Amino acid sequence: MISTIVSSVLFLGCLALILSEKIHRTITAIAGAALMVFIGKILGFYSESGALEAIDFNTLGLLFGMMILIAMLEPTGFFQYLAVQAARASKGSPVRLFVLLGTITTVLSMFIDNVTTVVLIAPVTILISQIIGISAMPFLVAEALLSNTGGVATLIGDPPNVLIGSAANLSFNDFLIYSFPIVIFVWAGALILLRYLFRKELSKKPKSIKAIMRLNPSESLNQPKDARRILIVLGGAIFFFFIHHTLHISPAVVALSAAAIALVWVQPDVHEMFKRIEWSVLVFFAGLFVMVGGLEHAGVMDLIVSVFVQFSDIDPLLFGVGMIWVVAALSAIVDNVPITIALIPVIKGLGENGLDISPLWWALAFGAGFGGNGTIIGASANIIVATLSEKTSTPITSKIWNRRGLPVMLLTCLISSILYAIFFRWM
Amino acid sequence: MNITACMEKNVVSVHESVSIKDAAKIFVKKHIGLLPVVDDEKKPIGIVSIGDLLALELPGFVSFLSDVDFVHDFGAVENTRPPLKVLNKSVKTIMKPAFTIETDCGLLLAYALMLQHNLQYLPVVSKTKKLVGIVSRVDVGAKILSTWQKAKK
Repeated sequence: MISTIVSSVLFLGCLALILSEKIHRTITAIAGAALMVFIGKILGFYSESGALEAIDFNTLGLLFGMMILIAMLEPTGFFQYLAVQAARASKGSPVRLFVLLGTITTVLSMFIDNVTTVVLIAPVTILISQIIGISAMPFLVAEALLSNTGGVATLIGDPPNVLIGSAANLSFNDFLIYSFPIVIFVWAGALILLRYLFRKELSKKPKSIKAIMRLNPSESLNQPKDARRILIVLGGAIFFFFIHHTLHISPAVVALSAAAIALVWVQPDVHEMFKRIEWSVLVFFAGLFVMVGGLEHAGVMDLIVSVFVQFSDIDPLLFGVGMIWVVAALSAIVDNVPITIALIPVIKGLGENGLDISPLWWALAFGAGFGGNGTIIGASANIIVATLSEKTSTPITSKIWNRRGLPVMLLTCLISSILYAIFFRWM
Repeated sequence: MNITACMEKNVVSVHESVSIKDAAKIFVKKHIGLLPVVDDEKKPIGIVSIGDLLALELPGFVSFLSDVDFVHDFGAVENTRPPLKVLNKSVKTIMKPAFTIETDCGLLLAYALMLQHNLQYLPVVSKTKKLVGIVSRVDVGAKILSTWQKAKK
């Protein structure tokens, strides 16, 4: 009993610290993990080997492999190139530019994590909107929201999906079958709603269309040869993601092999490339895995499962839809990664108690993915566009986010709930 | 030879209470690159460079992007001016900490300091820390090079 209480207090304390942002979340995670192992050793519920087993190396490997590929693609200017092409294709129409940049961001975020997508596309978005003389704000808000939305579509688009895929043994194709079609509708709904919410800003007449027609796409691509090579490898990796289940190889092996091939082919400055890897994210994940592993060993998860099992008479459809909204609400306030890592063992436990949990994995993915849109701190992508916008004449405030992001979160959760209910029996 | 051999003794400075807009006027009129900011006792408490003022107009995306070589027309950005609210603030709000040297500083040391701290200008102060002159990289560099002609074989 004492171990359940102590470990729960430690975990909730760490969540609160992550929420308060007083200390960097990675520091909280690694300190929390060390404390969990320490306390677990004293109280006898956790050990070093238990902690190591709790780390999902499949998730870390997949994230690490993709990070290497993107860290190599970043300096080639490929993302800048896409945005410049979009700008020229828009011919200066703000609405067309809005749709094009939004679509590019969504497609990129399906294969690249949302934060990286936004980090690479937002600066050139600010450039484009400022030289034609319109506010960058609608574009930046839309890019964050649409990258969060697009990421839900694939196994590799979003860290919660990587976690869910690894825990539930869902393949890349499972996501294409169950998540992708729903995300298409959700995305279209989000884009239409955003177009409406920003109707005033987007109807402003640009001051200087000529300037974007003079942007030179080929000059924006710094290293075309490297870009081509990395894109070929990335394409190959995506092909192998399609068939990884049939070949019985894990997504982590696909990603890490692709990273290895790209490294051999391009031979970048390794020191510079590794600087662009988000080590803090990887350590954050590892720390959370160890902490949640401690909760499991202390019996906290069994306790939560036994509470949930009492509600198992509830219609499973209602349970799933409820899960979408509860997880979404939580993800709007706290980082969706700890929530996903903590809920995975709970869902697994419900499965061991005889519940059909396969639809619940999708409910978790939708809630964690779309929930982050609700607040300015709900997802890292939101924080990034808000920070970048501070250097423009129209900074993104939480007031703006509540009027634009929150409706999008509610609509995306609503559409996904409806589609979830319709397709429930096939999930 | 020390720094007094090449410094500009007729140094233009501004009081900390001067507005950014008025400081800009001095930059234009005197055609200079750096203005030491001084207190009532003429002691330098900071510096404002022409670049610090231009940074107020430069769009933020320039610092986010690795290069803007592919941009051939700044379009609407070319004609943005900092808002009056910003221009009416005092120079104290944007000044950088003053890095100064004393009058007995050697030329090569002065040059090394400018190089390492990435400074184009160095204000020179007296023993009592009062502003007495200013040198540019060209002032110091040309003075050093002038000694080469006298070098023995």
